[in-house]
Amino acid sequence: MAPPIRNRITVLRAERGLSRQQLADALGINYQTVGYLERGDYNPSLELAFRIAEHFGLPLEAVFSRKPFAPMSSQLYRKEESA
Amino acid sequence: MSKQQINDAWYPKPPTYNRIGSRRWRRLLVVGTYGGWLLLAVIMKLASTPDSSFPVIPFVPLANVVVALVWFGRKTYLGREVLAGDFGLDERLIQNRNQAFRRAFQFFASFALIAWLLSLVAMWLQPVNQGLTNAILLFMGAALLGTTLPTVIWAWREPDPEPLGS
Repeated sequence: MAPPIRNRITVLRAERGLSRQQLADALGINYQTVGYLERGDYNPSLELAFRIAEHFGLPLEAVFSRKPFAPMSSQLYRKEESA
Repeated sequence: MSKQQINDAWYPKPPTYNRIGSRRWRRLLVVGTYGGWLLLAVIMKLASTPDSSFPVIPFVPLANVVVALVWFGRKTYLGREVLAGDFGLDERLIQNRNQAFRRAFQFFASFALIAWLLSLVAMWLQPVNQGLTNAILLFMGAALLGTTLPTVIWAWREPDPEPLGS
């Protein structure tokens, strides 16, 4: 089985106040697929991954990663301290 | 607002191609339809005489029709029109559907081979009507599996839908 691809879809969806159905409608996919993607139970195709990243207006590597994402809060605080 | 509108607002339903139903009910439906068919086939076979194919024909083919209608008539994305093409399915569902077809084929190919051999033996070694009746039963079973097994496998495996609005 392929290793799971980590993603920040849940966080990004919450930031924008989108429900799974709304995101699914925007992407043209089934709303349950959004749940599968968020839990890492399904790895998106390259095309779908690009569409998701474009929808959030972010580069692909900001939304998907093969390694676990560092918590956003620690990344933000580290940025402020170094600034 | 009409009563229907109020009801739809309180209990929103996903569109047909997003609907699937709960896994528990789908599995009960699998057991009910296939188990029911098997039970009917056994009863009809026991009720038949060596001289005639009645009541195996017409009741077992009728049972095939009923089971197929049950599975293809449900308003979910597991329905036949969806299985026949990609319309209404996203890439994950297409993948799941293709996997269901693969597994169905693997099972069906083995079953069909055994059924053909058994029906050959039945028609060759048993008296004409009895052998024909047994061969028809095997054929009907194979036909039922061939037409409904991908849908049934998919219905069995697909998890419970997540609540809307989550």
